[in-house]
Amino acid sequence: MAARPVEVSGAKPGTGHFEEFLAHPAEFLLRAYRECGELAEFHLGDMRNVLMVGPDAHEAVFRAPDEQLSTADSYQYMVPIFGEGIQYGAPLELERQQVKIQSNALRPEKMRGYAKVIAKEVEDWARGWGDAGEKDFYEELQQLVLRTSTHCLMGAEFRAKLTDEFGALYHDLEAAITPASILDPYGQAEVFARRDRARARLQEIITDEVRARRREGGEHPDMLQVFLDAEYLDGTKLPDEQIPGMVVWIMFAGFHTSSNTASWTIVELARQARFVPAIEREIDSAYGAGQELSFAALREIPELDRFIGEVLRLHPPLVTLMRHVRRDFEYKGCVIPAGDTIVISPYVAHRVPEVFPDPERFDPTRPAPKSVFAGIPFGGGRRKCVGNAFALLQVKSIFCALLSRYRFELVEAPESYRDVMPSLILRPSDPCRLRYRRRA
Amino acid sequence: MPPRLRVRVDLDLCQGHGLCQEEAPEIFRVVDRPGEYAQVEVILEEPPESLREKARAAARFCPNRVITLEEID
Repeated sequence: MAARPVEVSGAKPGTGHFEEFLAHPAEFLLRAYRECGELAEFHLGDMRNVLMVGPDAHEAVFRAPDEQLSTADSYQYMVPIFGEGIQYGAPLELERQQVKIQSNALRPEKMRGYAKVIAKEVEDWARGWGDAGEKDFYEELQQLVLRTSTHCLMGAEFRAKLTDEFGALYHDLEAAITPASILDPYGQAEVFARRDRARARLQEIITDEVRARRREGGEHPDMLQVFLDAEYLDGTKLPDEQIPGMVVWIMFAGFHTSSNTASWTIVELARQARFVPAIEREIDSAYGAGQELSFAALREIPELDRFIGEVLRLHPPLVTLMRHVRRDFEYKGCVIPAGDTIVISPYVAHRVPEVFPDPERFDPTRPAPKSVFAGIPFGGGRRKCVGNAFALLQVKSIFCALLSRYRFELVEAPESYRDVMPSLILRPSDPCRLRYRRRA
Repeated sequence: MPPRLRVRVDLDLCQGHGLCQEEAPEIFRVVDRPGEYAQVEVILEEPPESLREKARAAARFCPNRVITLEEID
């Protein structure tokens, strides 16, 4: 008989490990790995899961075909958010084409335009800060990324008139993504009712914009334009009623993931101040004498790249990546049977001491691991986040602008800035207050 | 003579973003495949020395790190 993974201790009758998972998924998964190693079995109610950790395990999962390890089955709780007929609410062959359309909205020639939009938004944001002050940067960066994302996605006009409502509706969508929604996203809870109202309103305001564009014509440099022009492989246009779903999907993928990464970056810049002078020198020389930071310069900016890479190692915003096993999956003599769910956790993966020695130490100079499957903040394989280049561009643009002007200091004790998970997305604890001071 | 270059791609991991084609259209072409992911096709497996830098840039900027360059003899 094939071996089974070791089961994590502490399961309760009926609910299994659900309660502990609910309290802090990242910490639970890290405990599971430390106790059981490469393969750790745990239970969320009736759902049997296997956490797989380490470059070899990740590679095996990322190379498996969709037909064997299904992402769609595991993420059905996103269907009421993105809409029927969109992403995992669509058949696999359509979903693949929709991903391709999303990636077309993020191509290099589009990114050059987005870089300018982001730079302008950051300038407007930091104007009026004065020489010194104090702010809650979790709140601030969430607002900033809402504005940059809305602007790149929906264009300047929409950004000017609808950003606040857009943000509030998004909040209602995200609030419905809880560990409980993984088990049943169609329950009667008030959060789900609020989610459905928010989704209906988003359909309305985005459809209004689509109709206005169709009426008025013209070319816009935003992502919406790409959706308006998009065609499926059989030559049919992406239907107008699917466009809001595409917008909600790409916004969802990129909003809190990016703003939380930016928040953690600014906290670590304050906490790990010894690495800051080298980054400032690099940015100063890329900017030159007040010139605009070009897209080319943003693309490769090694000190800042390594710093953000280390932030993503310790604080990856997505803590769990799930795959439902459709056909038995064998790994190193263990069979994970059809019906189980495989979980990969970037948070745990990035704390494997054989790959990242002394893993809790923040060190942007640590050598890159040999395997491309060791560091997985954006996942891996054909299901890897298609927005990864855009996300990095956004975070880098923000910090090039900020670090050319200001230095940041902690307000509270260093250890009080912690990873918390009120939803399934990791973020810094609040209040997340920092002081800033204009550079000499 | 500098060693010759051979280009390899790992198709299990390719999502067909097309950044490689953007960097080095002489070497890479992204092909749409109905019902499947779009994927890269290597059209020049052993690029000449003059394309070495372009090949390097393609490998470096591939979002999925699908491309490897081998030096042969």
